[in-house]
Amino acid sequence: MLILSRKSGESIVIDGRIHVKVVRVEGDVVKIGIEAPSDIPVHREEVYQEIQRSNQQALTKQQSSLPKLAGSPAKTPKTSQP
Amino acid sequence: MNAVDKIDMETLATPTLNEVRLPTGLLGFEHIKDYVLLANPAEQPFAWLQVKDDVALAFIVIDPYIAVPEYKPNLPQLDIENLGIQNPDDALLLSIVTVHGNNRATMNLKGPIVINRRTHIGKQIVIANASDYSVQHPLPVAAV
Repeated sequence: MLILSRKSGESIVIDGRIHVKVVRVEGDVVKIGIEAPSDIPVHREEVYQEIQRSNQQALTKQQSSLPKLAGSPAKTPKTSQP
Repeated sequence: MNAVDKIDMETLATPTLNEVRLPTGLLGFEHIKDYVLLANPAEQPFAWLQVKDDVALAFIVIDPYIAVPEYKPNLPQLDIENLGIQNPDDALLLSIVTVHGNNRATMNLKGPIVINRRTHIGKQIVIANASDYSVQHPLPVAAV
């Protein structure tokens, strides 16, 4: 991992187009400003971890029964009552 | 590329199988790339995204708009281009469902799976406005 020392107000530039600036340092919290082209997704790492955990929880190991949606709004598929 | 049947979950009359390839896998399951999307009219609005090489492993998926008609995921343009999606009708959007016991189920609105209906290639995309949505958005499940 590349480790750089930066002071408040200083930046690093990635690939000539992504600017990461240390905006403020308060105790153990660092405020970071990121300027990147709109096609570069920027997220907190926790978002990926959250989705990863959710995927792991969602995986079903056998063909379990599906829930039934309660009075679902709009676009409810037509079902005929027996 | 050979023509493939266009995936359409809404007009299914019979159980259908569609092979789906997710070249980057799902987050946490990057090594699993080949799936079969199995939709049975009797089980709508749910469908199964089954692991092709292990039929015992599957994800339950749903068209998120059925439960949240106002859902507005902001999909990065680069992902859309890489998937070869040229107009909105090409895209099939699915949310992964988690079943928590008998009467609670949620769906992931932060990371939908976007599939090109024509090529059957897809990707789990972290939407740009992920902070507006939950990974565990509650589904209105009827008590069994």
